[in-house]
Amino acid sequence: MEPQLVKNVTYATMAWAAGGLIYAATHRVDTQFAMYWAFGLGFGFVLQRGRFCFASAFRDLFLLGHGRNMKGVLVGLAVGSIGFGLVMSRQVPMTFLGILPPSANVLPVGVHTALGGVLFGVGMVLAGGCVSGNLYRMGEGYVASWVAFAGLMGGLLASAFTWNWWWDNGISTAPVYWLPTWLGHPGALVVTLLALAAVFVGVLVIEHRAGMVVPRTPRNPVAAETVGAELRSVARTVFVDGWAIIPAGAVLGGLNVLLFTAQEPWGFTGEVSRWSIAAASLVNLAPPALDGVANLPGCVFVPSDGSFFNHMLFLVVGMWFGSFAGALGAGEFKVRIPKRRARYAQSLGGGVLMGYGAGIGMGCTIGAFFSAIPSLAVNGWVFALFLGAGAWIGTQMIQRIQ
Amino acid sequence: MAETLDVRGEICPYPMMRTVTALKKLSGEELTLCVVTDHAPALDTIPTQAARLGFRTEIEESGGSEWRLVLTRMEEEEGA
Repeated sequence: MEPQLVKNVTYATMAWAAGGLIYAATHRVDTQFAMYWAFGLGFGFVLQRGRFCFASAFRDLFLLGHGRNMKGVLVGLAVGSIGFGLVMSRQVPMTFLGILPPSANVLPVGVHTALGGVLFGVGMVLAGGCVSGNLYRMGEGYVASWVAFAGLMGGLLASAFTWNWWWDNGISTAPVYWLPTWLGHPGALVVTLLALAAVFVGVLVIEHRAGMVVPRTPRNPVAAETVGAELRSVARTVFVDGWAIIPAGAVLGGLNVLLFTAQEPWGFTGEVSRWSIAAASLVNLAPPALDGVANLPGCVFVPSDGSFFNHMLFLVVGMWFGSFAGALGAGEFKVRIPKRRARYAQSLGGGVLMGYGAGIGMGCTIGAFFSAIPSLAVNGWVFALFLGAGAWIGTQMIQRIQ
Repeated sequence: MAETLDVRGEICPYPMMRTVTALKKLSGEELTLCVVTDHAPALDTIPTQAARLGFRTEIEESGGSEWRLVLTRMEEEEGA
C-alpha cells in the first residue's frame, strides 16, 4: 500500500474505534443515547462520502444547470416516502377520521412556512451549505462552516424571541394538511412519487438545456484475482472513492426510514435551538416561554430543560464525527481557511438567515423538507417551493460577491 | 507555462464559479488552465462546466486533500 493510504487507514481506524467506544459508553448510560449516536455516525458518513448537499441541489440548477445533488435528494425522498408511508399506514389505518400520525413531520402551513423557506434558501446559498451540509463540512475541516454554525445558533435564538408573535399571529390557527386524509395511504404515496418523478424530469430538462453533463470517470476497473483483492476493491469503493449521488440519496432515505421506525423522523434544528437557548440563559438572555412548542412534532424549538445530555445531542455530534471519520479514511480531511474576508461575513450572515428561517419554518432542509415530504405532508412541498425561491435569490447574490 | 488558478480554502460554490470566470477570460491562444482546489465537490461540477465551454478536464490527485485539474481547450473536431 502507498504510505498515504496507510496513514489514512490508521487515522480512520482510530476514529471509528473512538466512535465505537463512545457507543459502548453511552449504551451503559442510556440505550437511546447510543442508538442516536449510531444513527448520527451513519448520516454523517454517508453525507460526507456522497458529498451530499441540499444547498447545491437547489443552487446548482440555477447557477450551473447541473442536477447531480437534486437527483440524489429526489431518490432519497422517494425511498423515504415509501418507508414512511408504510409505517404511517400501520400507525393510522383509518385516515378519513382526521387522525394524524403522532411523530411524522406534519406541521401547520402558512406564511411562516413560506417565509421560513425563503430565508433558509437564501441563507444556505450564502453560507455554501445548509445545516447538515455545514455539519459534515465541519467534520471535514472547513473553518467557514464553523462560522456558519455559530450564525445558525444566533439566528435560532433571534427566531425564538419572535416565536410567540408568530404563534399568536398565524401558527396557532394555521391548518395542517396530511395527504392521506384526502387520498388514503396508497393514493397519497402514488401522488407523492409521481410529483417527485415530475421534478426529476424537470431536472433533466434543465440539465440538457444548459448543455452536456460529463459523468464522473470511474476508477479504472482492475480484475480482482483473489478474494483479498476483491475485498480491498470493495473497501476502496465505500471508504475512499466518493459515492455516486443516487446510492447516497437512497441510503440517506433508508436511514431516515429506519430512524422513523425506531423513534422519529431525521431532524435536528430543534436540538441546536436547545443549545442556543441554553447558552443564552447562561448570560441571562433567555427568550420567554415558547407557546405551543410542546405539542408540535418535528424540529420545533426545544426549550432548555437544564440538562446537558439529550439523545438528540448524540445525533448532531454523531453526524459531525461520522463525517470526520469518513473524511479521514478518504484522505479528505484538511483545515480549510478562506482567504477572502467576505466569506466569513457570508457564512455568518447565511447561518443567521438559516437559523431564523428554521425557527419559524419548524425545521431545516432535513426536518421541514427531507422528512416532511415523506411524511406525506403538504407543509413539506410548500417549504420546498419557497426554499427553491430563496435559493434562486441567494444565487443572484453570490454571483455579485466574487 | 499554463496559467494557474488557486482556489484553495474557498467555500462552495466559488471553486467552480471562479474556474468558469477564468476559463471565459482565457485568451484564444492559451490552451490550458490549471486549477488547484481542496474542495472535493468541485471534481463533480468543474468537468461539466469546462466541457460546456469547450475544455477537457484531467484530474490529478496531489494528496493531502488537494487536487490539480488541468483544463485543456479541445480542438474543433473533438469539441462539444
